[in-house]
Amino acid sequence: MFLNRKEGLALALPAAFFTLLFFLVPVGILLSVAFQSDTGWSLNGYFEFFSKPLNRAVFWRTLKLGLLVAGASAIIGYAAAFCIVSLPPKSRGRIFGLVVLPLMISPVARTYAWIVILGRTGIVNDVIVGLGLSDTPIRLLFTETAVFIGLLQLFLPLMIISLVSAMENIPRDVIPAARVLGASWLQVFLRVILPLTKEGLVIGGTLVFTGALTAYITPAILGGSKVLMLETLLYQKVNVSNDFVSASVIAMILIVMSFTANIVLKRIASVRR
Amino acid sequence: MSRLSIWIILGVTLTFLIGPFLIVILAGASAGEALSFPPQGLSLKWYAKVFTVESFRASFALSMFLAIFGTLTALLIGIPAAYALNRYDLPWAETIRTIVAAPIIVPGIIVGLALLRYIVVPLNVTITMALFMVHTALVLPYAVRVVSSSLNNLRGDMEEAAVILGCTRFQAFTKVVLPNIRGGILAAFILGFVTSFNEVPASLFLSGPGVRTLPIDMLSYMEITFDPSVAALSAILAFLSVAIVFLAERLLGFSRYV
Repeated sequence: MFLNRKEGLALALPAAFFTLLFFLVPVGILLSVAFQSDTGWSLNGYFEFFSKPLNRAVFWRTLKLGLLVAGASAIIGYAAAFCIVSLPPKSRGRIFGLVVLPLMISPVARTYAWIVILGRTGIVNDVIVGLGLSDTPIRLLFTETAVFIGLLQLFLPLMIISLVSAMENIPRDVIPAARVLGASWLQVFLRVILPLTKEGLVIGGTLVFTGALTAYITPAILGGSKVLMLETLLYQKVNVSNDFVSASVIAMILIVMSFTANIVLKRIASVRR
Repeated sequence: MSRLSIWIILGVTLTFLIGPFLIVILAGASAGEALSFPPQGLSLKWYAKVFTVESFRASFALSMFLAIFGTLTALLIGIPAAYALNRYDLPWAETIRTIVAAPIIVPGIIVGLALLRYIVVPLNVTITMALFMVHTALVLPYAVRVVSSSLNNLRGDMEEAAVILGCTRFQAFTKVVLPNIRGGILAAFILGFVTSFNEVPASLFLSGPGVRTLPIDMLSYMEITFDPSVAALSAILAFLSVAIVFLAERLLGFSRYV
């Protein structure tokens, strides 16, 4: 540890100033727009935003999809992580690599795949029409389900990674011991696995939830203007209606939601332990 | 659980995660004119066509420029910051850490809009310059974190010994510390490169005539045309990122640092 504070600051401050000037200050100004009116400071921008049914619907839909995606990825994540941990070390590494792989690939490419699958001439519709379940292709794209599936595929790996690293820390004999002593699988999960992996669940949950809230590409490609989420609504407000007050309100909502998710979930993790 | 049920669960999960890519790769290899799966005959014409589209070439060059120079700049200011946060008794260390980490939490779309409105327009900064600022700031938290974690593994008394033996502080850094955290720096570069190259939300509002990053260009191409070239391009990009990360893992055990 060096004690020369000036030297330390000289090394650390360029990075901090860079982020402050080119990142945080412009964002701060944008956030302040919604609080300004002709007569000074006010909350009118917010009242006006939430007085419109469309905006409220988009707000609730974003929250709902975020929670659904986080919940679904927790369920699938636990099943997958449990399987990965019970593999022998060599195949464990390989399977884990396959789970991480999609994270390296452009989200545009990852979302584009669903157009091929869910589009009018996509595989799912081919099967539906082929089996005679419907005479004409069904609209699968531009639905909430499509956005849900796209987001789930995008963020599931983050949950699996967090849960696998949490489960690797469970002592080996604990689960067999609980089974021998007569616990059902449900009891094993609720009373052994869940308490011991809570931190991983919280980290994974935060990553997935905030990721889903702030994703742009997936709702843009798979939801379009039929299934708006806050990010795509923000884009529309700026590019279609030039409405910067609403844009500023949405920006604040997004920032508050992702900060709150981070803080609340961290607190849950530390209190229960 | 039985072996069979383990492999069934993993098989279904991996099909969901990776299957769509295989479909994109095949859809891009279609001989037909419209996007479809199964492809109407196989050909590589869309894979070849991607390289002839002028806007893709321009946006690819821009994305490469941002990913390389944005990440290098982030490392240039990020390595000293990581070093100072690790080795010095800093006043306001927590504040500095929070500021530098902020770009991870603030949604990108907001940043792009904010820069466009309050830096590009009033200060007459070019779009390319603004993109460069955003990409550098976005990569910076990763650079600081990855370099910090490799500094943590290096004992601080080595530099102190070097200083006692007559090195200046700067020499101690370049001769003792730098060679030892080389792997971490390379890992940070790769992580930063991939993050910047794939970035969309922050670059969304920062596009002008002829100035667009590749992912944004793909998004707008997709809205106009429905041919398999975006599928082919997606497959090429996916292959490139996977190859880079795979090589990094093989050569330096990338995952140790991330």
